[in-house]
Amino acid sequence: MQPNELDNLLSPIRDKLTGIERKSDTRVFLPCEAEHVSEICRFLFEDLGLRFVISTGIDAQDCFEVLHHFSDDESGCFVTVKAFIRDREAPVLDSITPVIPGAEWIECEMHDLLGIEFRNHPHMRRLILSDDWPDGVYPLRKEIRT
Amino acid sequence: MDWRLWSLKKSIWVFHVNTGACNNCDIEIVNLLTPKFDVERFGMKLVGSPRHADALLVTGGGTRQAAIRLREVYRQTAKPCVVFCMGACACGMGIFEKGYHMAGPIDSIVRQVDPHAIIAYVPGCPPKPEAMIAGVVKALGVLQPKEKYATERIGQPVVADPR
Amino acid sequence: MIDAMQNVFWILVFPGFVFTLAVGLLASWLVRKVGALVQYRVGPPVYQPAVDVMKLMGKEILIPQDAHRATFVLAPLVGFSGVLLLSTVLWLATAGIDYVGDVVVAMYLMVFPSLALILGSSASGSPHAAIGAGREMKLVLSYELPLVLAILVVIIKTAGRIAPGEQLTLAAIAQHAPVLSISGALAFLVALLCVQAKLGYVPFDIAESEAELAGGVMIEYSGALLGVWKLMQAMMLVALPLFLVVVFLGGIDASGLSLLWGIGKFVLVLVLVILIKNTNPRVRIDQAMRFFWFYCGAVLAAAVILASIGSYCDIAWL
Repeated sequence: MQPNELDNLLSPIRDKLTGIERKSDTRVFLPCEAEHVSEICRFLFEDLGLRFVISTGIDAQDCFEVLHHFSDDESGCFVTVKAFIRDREAPVLDSITPVIPGAEWIECEMHDLLGIEFRNHPHMRRLILSDDWPDGVYPLRKEIRT
Repeated sequence: MDWRLWSLKKSIWVFHVNTGACNNCDIEIVNLLTPKFDVERFGMKLVGSPRHADALLVTGGGTRQAAIRLREVYRQTAKPCVVFCMGACACGMGIFEKGYHMAGPIDSIVRQVDPHAIIAYVPGCPPKPEAMIAGVVKALGVLQPKEKYATERIGQPVVADPR
Repeated sequence: MIDAMQNVFWILVFPGFVFTLAVGLLASWLVRKVGALVQYRVGPPVYQPAVDVMKLMGKEILIPQDAHRATFVLAPLVGFSGVLLLSTVLWLATAGIDYVGDVVVAMYLMVFPSLALILGSSASGSPHAAIGAGREMKLVLSYELPLVLAILVVIIKTAGRIAPGEQLTLAAIAQHAPVLSISGALAFLVALLCVQAKLGYVPFDIAESEAELAGGVMIEYSGALLGVWKLMQAMMLVALPLFLVVVFLGGIDASGLSLLWGIGKFVLVLVLVILIKNTNPRVRIDQAMRFFWFYCGAVLAAAVILASIGSYCDIAWL
């Protein structure tokens, strides 16, 4: 997708993003802060009609990052929304499940493994850790050693 | 020879249990049961219920979730039965050895239920079907009549829900 | 006293339990061997079904906690005794020892195995077995009516042909070969499919579908009880084709060369069952019900009409 075409399409939400990174013609990153994630994803999903692919949770040393990946199937462009959660002790993020029902399970997984709380998630439950796993121990955090 | 042991060797019915495998070993087990390798001439047959089975083909390292179920399946298998650990993960957890989600290799999980379980190991990642057949034949060849080993029935009622 | 001992001998040794069991295990091996040859592979050796049963007798019996114990243990024995008596009645009929109404007795005993299967699986205390029991019940409902109608066709045809004063028994029916007429052939085809369903073979093995229901009706059975079920299935493999031979194909005449011809007829029916088994996929239960009630029912209605016309106007080939 050409740069000015992309800028035009993203202009309604440009004020919520902290930048637009173009790694290549078909790979775009949209970093933002944790509060605006839900509106940005709703815009991309409903107004632009992009397809939700998957989400990623990352434990960077000083913050958590949650990436939501979207795909524009006609142009082959892959757009990723990168949300930074600055609070490491009690990470909270808005859930995008009310907008995109397909995100329900991946957010449960991120909650199980990284401990990220998702506000407004319709059915948060233990999904992939075993039932006798102790509460409050999140295996994929950097401080956990096995 | 003991007629029970002889008939067990000639007609061994297998049940396949997957305790968290990557499915590679499972595909090889399914290959084993196709007409190309024709294990029916050895008397082997795939059954749908562990109560009908004489051999449990277990794949995958034992994850914590699957360990509960594997113990229950072993308890429900009619004795005498042989447990075959198929693949590197089942023999000793393989590359998942330091994983946070593992409960131990298959033999330690099964020995928690029955310390005298008969366990055979078929390593490989995945083991070829020919290796599986060789493993089964070798294991059956060394089985002894009842006086030589003890498979005591654990005197517990069989509960439907493991939780 | 001698009479009672002779009856016991007939039921338990020849031609009852031991004889039918031996033939049944051989027939069971034949089914597996032909199935293997059709799939380009070598099948099991001759003693395989016998060794299977031996092994099952040596394993322990597990009874689920939620099962109803008495029904669970008695169901295989009930089914087994039903098939035992059925095979005895049929063999004795081919030997000429019969009585009025033994057709009805044979039809009544034929239901026993399916009924025992339903009872046993309902008493298992397992949801898989409950679904299997429900499916078996629907299957029995589907094929019992066409089976009775097919036998009705045979009775209509035979009733016109026996001498006045002779009784309509199995041995009398076995003198004629109703399959050599249009209505008889139609009835034979439908009865063959009903027998396929009763034996629990593809395309009608809905109750014991392996991959779907994890063993279906027999999921909770193990050890000697499962061995009795397998014995029952082996003996049904003798009794039901024998029933078809006696009723449709003219019976087995136990003297000299006709004996070989009779055994040939039995093997023919068995081979037909095996071929249908190996060339068809499994059907769903609603497809099976539709097939038996609508299609088989329509065919049999035509066959009954043709048989009645033939019997009334004395035309033998209708």
